[in-house]
Amino acid sequence: MMASELVLEHVDKVYRPRGKQPVVAVKDLSLDIRPGEITALLGSSGCGKTSTLRMIAGFEDVSAGAIRLDGKPIHTLPPARRGVAMAFEAYSLYPPLTIRENIDFALRSSRLSAAERKRRVHEVAELLEISDILDKYPAFVSGGQQQRAGLGRALVRNAKLCLLDEPMGQLEPQLRAMLRGRIKHFLRSHASTTILVTHDQTEANALADRIAVMEDGVLQQYATPAELKNRPANLFVGAFIGEPPMNLLAARVDISDSRIRFALEEGGSVLAFTDSEIGVALRDRLRGLERVTIGVRPHALRLGEGPIRARVSSCQWLGDQTHVAAELGTMTVVSVSHEKIRAPAGREITLSIHPNDLHVFESDTGRAIAHGGRMA
Amino acid sequence: MALLEVASLAKSFRKEPVLSNISLRANAGEIIVVFGPSGTGKTVLLRLIAGLEEPSAGAIAIDGRDMADVPPEQRGVGMAFQNFALFPHMTAFENIASPLRSSRANGMVNSGVSKVAKLLKIDHVLSHAPRELSNGQKQRTSLARALAASPKILLLDDPLRNVDAKLRFEMRLELPRLLRQSGSAVLYVTQDYKEAMALADRIAVLLDGVLEQVATPDEIYNAPHSLAVARLFGDPSINVIDSRIEGGRLALADATIPLEAGYSAYNGRDVIAGIRPEAVALASDVNVPGAIAAVVEAVTPLNERTVLLLKAQSGWEFLASLPSSGAAIPEAGARVVVAIRPAGLHLFDRETGRRLSPDGIG
Repeated sequence: MMASELVLEHVDKVYRPRGKQPVVAVKDLSLDIRPGEITALLGSSGCGKTSTLRMIAGFEDVSAGAIRLDGKPIHTLPPARRGVAMAFEAYSLYPPLTIRENIDFALRSSRLSAAERKRRVHEVAELLEISDILDKYPAFVSGGQQQRAGLGRALVRNAKLCLLDEPMGQLEPQLRAMLRGRIKHFLRSHASTTILVTHDQTEANALADRIAVMEDGVLQQYATPAELKNRPANLFVGAFIGEPPMNLLAARVDISDSRIRFALEEGGSVLAFTDSEIGVALRDRLRGLERVTIGVRPHALRLGEGPIRARVSSCQWLGDQTHVAAELGTMTVVSVSHEKIRAPAGREITLSIHPNDLHVFESDTGRAIAHGGRMA
Repeated sequence: MALLEVASLAKSFRKEPVLSNISLRANAGEIIVVFGPSGTGKTVLLRLIAGLEEPSAGAIAIDGRDMADVPPEQRGVGMAFQNFALFPHMTAFENIASPLRSSRANGMVNSGVSKVAKLLKIDHVLSHAPRELSNGQKQRTSLARALAASPKILLLDDPLRNVDAKLRFEMRLELPRLLRQSGSAVLYVTQDYKEAMALADRIAVLLDGVLEQVATPDEIYNAPHSLAVARLFGDPSINVIDSRIEGGRLALADATIPLEAGYSAYNGRDVIAGIRPEAVALASDVNVPGAIAAVVEAVTPLNERTVLLLKAQSGWEFLASLPSSGAAIPEAGARVVVAIRPAGLHLFDRETGRRLSPDGIG
């Protein structure tokens, strides 16, 4: 089976509650989801991600724009004719059916042989580690097991388009990482074009080829997890993606004697870079800008010799990483290391930022200017 | 003498034991995190110490005094809860002041409230009613109320459960200093292992009503007493595989892993091997002792690390967690060779699930 391509063209969703102001849930959304690609719609509640998924599934009309599957408009078709498989968090299992029957039910309208249906149910049950509960009824298994069964019902169909709404929120922490890997492998090997809605960036990063970050109904950036981390389009994406979040520092710009200096407004330290470190293009762009916002990821804020003076407020080791928080004027910055380090509270430390790790944003609009010396 | 002493405490509801043989000490200024999955009796333990439940057996002493006949309000205990439990008809100020009202003059109350409010950065919202506060402010108000009366014992029942991830992270950084300043002995309940490791001087791991291990975060992570404890700490969770110690080595279907000398004492023993994903490293070639050949089934980034789902020749699936910034990360479908760093390899008796100590004792 060939994988499908899904295209959203200038899609709007406006809710018009009677007697109230209209609510714009999704504004001018265009996305091109390639055949076999896994895309995550990521954002906090109310960002428009679930409305988008419901429009693709056919549970909601589009207010404007078009949705095409392999070139054919589907936004006017009833849900059942769109060839879409779904696992919804709130999409409950049928209580009178066993887990096995629930999963098999998704294949009822297929023309598969009984043996093939059995093989497929067995395959997804193994993958999701629910083989031992197949003959139980939903009410008698845990929330995590119910959610895995719901996922099984979506995966078993090998549909052209697979829609997953917060599919892993209830999963047992001991299983989560393993199942993420297996599900990704499964979707890949079945060439299922997949759209995953989640508020959990860990899940989006783990599963998705590309992530569409949404806020207030507007697409902020649609890019790979690495691009979102290394080249966030604006301050919102920069601050939203990454755990712990990016350190953001207001700075005054001073360009003289072929150096660019960023004077941090908190703590008073000055970062100085040469043209060869951050590029002439950035220097020219910064000319005339008085203030910018500097961004640096916690992993890139390095302890040791450096121009930034700060005072340790806490040092926490989490097994595979250390989080050091330090006060810079009235704000707190965070440095993360893969190593175990000890930095007692109260100690004066210095920190550095390698020019390759420096993000520069316009303070007023939040738009990215440059990442690691490369212009945005 | 410890500020809080819990000795052989037990609690049953309708003859169902909920807690058994709990012994725990906490000193002034110490943060003990009571950690375990839901339903293991964490909240019941706090309620027993607060005097809201009566123990079925055992004793609780605070500051050297037995609490058996002491009512809750006289125990010197402050509490905060995950649902905040603020009085809806009172302002934030009055909520924080409520535990001080009976015992102090108004001037003392005012100064007490403003001091703790400042510490928690809510001094600007003291005149607000709870419904006007954000979840973060509610949670700080609830903490401030617990701290206001300078309790000897501070009981915090998953206070960050209902706040968003960003605030939870900020509070995780701030709380240890705040709690230490209070001088109270703190019992802090959570189900989040990272929160437990970040906050605790010692972690008390509670499983099925029994304390499995009470130790520093370091000891819990690097020398878990049992497989059950090992599986609760770490993200991704520890890899687990049945195995056997033969000739001082660990015999897996896919490789023979050299072990520290002390493990020879367990030759012939059936074990469960626990392998931390961050201890699985890419190896240069198959001739490295203990090397395992595998195929990368999936690549799943996890913050600044990348998790690989690997499948060995025998069909064994396991996870490796590599720093994303280090050597090149292989792609899905690639064939790789990995080796296991000894520090992240833990062996447990297959019958009992207890840790086999690398020095051969146990």
